[in-house]
Amino acid sequence: MAQNQRPTTFLDSFGEEIIRILTPVSICMFLVVLLVSILNSNSSASVTSIATIAYSETSSDSSWDKFLGALLNSLAFVAVVTVATFILVLLFYLRCTKFLKIYMGFSSFVVLGFMGGEIALFFIEEFSVPIDCISYLVVLFNFAVVGVLAVFMSKMAILVTQGYLVLIGMFVAYWFTLLPEWTTWVLLVVMALYDLAAVLLPVGPLRLLVELAMSRDEDIPALVYEARPVTHHDSGSGENTVRRRVWRERRNVRHDSEDNSNLDGNVVSDSNSTVVAVQHCHNGSIIARVEEGQVSEGNAELSAPLIDHRMNGQDGMSTESLVLEGMGLGSSGAIKLGLGDFIFYSVLVGRAAMYDFMTVYACYLAIVAGLGITLMLLAFYQKALPALPVSIALGVLFYFLTRFLLEVFIVQCSLNLVMF
Amino acid sequence: MTVAAGIGYALVALGPSLALFVSVISKKPFLILTLLSSTLVWLISLIILSGIWRAFLPLNSATWWPFAILLFTSVAFQEGLRLLFWKVYKRLEDIMDAFADRVSKPRLYLTDKMQIALAGGLGHGVAHAVFFCLSLLTPAFGPATYFVDRCSQIPFFLVSAIIALAFVMVHTFSMVIAFNSYAEGNKVDQLFVPVVHLAAGMMTLINFASGGCIVGIPLLYLMAILTLMHCGRMVSRRLTENHRQGSS
Repeated sequence: MAQNQRPTTFLDSFGEEIIRILTPVSICMFLVVLLVSILNSNSSASVTSIATIAYSETSSDSSWDKFLGALLNSLAFVAVVTVATFILVLLFYLRCTKFLKIYMGFSSFVVLGFMGGEIALFFIEEFSVPIDCISYLVVLFNFAVVGVLAVFMSKMAILVTQGYLVLIGMFVAYWFTLLPEWTTWVLLVVMALYDLAAVLLPVGPLRLLVELAMSRDEDIPALVYEARPVTHHDSGSGENTVRRRVWRERRNVRHDSEDNSNLDGNVVSDSNSTVVAVQHCHNGSIIARVEEGQVSEGNAELSAPLIDHRMNGQDGMSTESLVLEGMGLGSSGAIKLGLGDFIFYSVLVGRAAMYDFMTVYACYLAIVAGLGITLMLLAFYQKALPALPVSIALGVLFYFLTRFLLEVFIVQCSLNLVMF
Repeated sequence: MTVAAGIGYALVALGPSLALFVSVISKKPFLILTLLSSTLVWLISLIILSGIWRAFLPLNSATWWPFAILLFTSVAFQEGLRLLFWKVYKRLEDIMDAFADRVSKPRLYLTDKMQIALAGGLGHGVAHAVFFCLSLLTPAFGPATYFVDRCSQIPFFLVSAIIALAFVMVHTFSMVIAFNSYAEGNKVDQLFVPVVHLAAGMMTLINFASGGCIVGIPLLYLMAILTLMHCGRMVSRRLTENHRQGSS
């Protein structure tokens, strides 16, 4: 049949980058929900951390007291986060990048080793796994070290790096779900507001950081998830090229390298650049920062500058500051999402899982919708945008709507076997 | 009744949709996005409906006519929303055609449009199955099970999973029929979809009679099979017409 060989429409690959960032976010959320539902029986494990110094919730307090206590907790947490972010901006300004990188590595090691270790201990307790101390320690140590190498050295397989980033996000998110309930919800809302302020206000620390990084053409040492770049085999142009765009433009001609020179500050020295360089470099020469390539006939792609969003996750054991970036675009045209966003989305969904699964599904859809809206705004405004506020707002809204409205309705209908 | 039973119930309700997802929808990223947005839209419709009806709940479950009113309003609302969904899709289709022209790729084929309709319908079906069946399945993973008085031969979870499967089929293929009929302007088919939806809803009212589910559920499946057959006939007709047009 002659129809079999007809050219494919653009629908085949439209929206692929969005899916490539949605998949790890969904996997992280799913893993956190799984962890929460399996390990939730020992809900007496309460965590003392910076986020609970002002008030520890007991179930006998009145609602107003709980709310006020939660607010105090969250404000204390955000204050610590702000101070830490400003210190980071200062360090970055003074060009202590080596120190920052080592600190990042150290904090990843702590998350993977200690938090991961504690969660593994919960599992061992729950399922009575027969394992001895020494094997456990050896395995844990190796796991943590490989994780640090994967996240900060660029030569690992991209799947390993992405996997470890998702795991780090999962561990921190699980720890946050151990906070008391009111504190968690108020903390989420306050962090979303902080994110909004820090990225959009002129004195916001994240905005300062982004501007510093862009003006210096450097990359920020940060924990960022970068999706695999989409490569298009365009039969029209006859060669395999990778589109490299930072600013949204529809171009059908070879683009100038001058335009590309500020492109690159965001070369995060991770395996993506090597993958990209190896696969498709049109003119063969791999310039360290800037790669030019012929733009394949213009599929308009999302482009936006880096958005920074820092998150300092703290726990009772050590003060670690994980520097994480928000949403942006890597040099190879792939979408980047900061690990802090992964963490807070998963915290929201994990907390929803502690109530019921209906809220989990509703909050998942809300967060995905928020992510989609943020991506569209990104493509529209083309400046640094925070990834948290829209998703968290929608997520919290849907959680309360589902919990108080939908559940009663559905249970009423279902139990009488009346469905539509 | 243990994890195996819980997963079994979930797969009874969502197995065919999972198969559809893996074979058709996961191949094209845009269809996954359509699925997610469609599920979100129907979730919002359920939330709005529950908001409207919250004041009247809990209904006295001895009488059936309050539920009939509830069903009627809900189905009417959802069908209205389907029309809105179609209008939004039409605008999106125009944008996508313009985009395709700009990047000098072929415009959307008929199969592409039908796949988008299928993804939209699957989103509706998945929303129904997830919220009416899956979200209540949590106790099924535990050691015991639960029976409803009116349908006491099989566990409640299995009944709701079976009903959810029927509704998934109805919703998925109704969307394809609806989109095709709006595109062609075929009035009969445009009416077919709301009528089938309402009829399917009314069938579940039969479950109110004691032991009524023995009658109600097969009738529901009759509706589902009717929808499937009608959709199949319509799609094959359109495709052969299109092919004849294309090759002539």
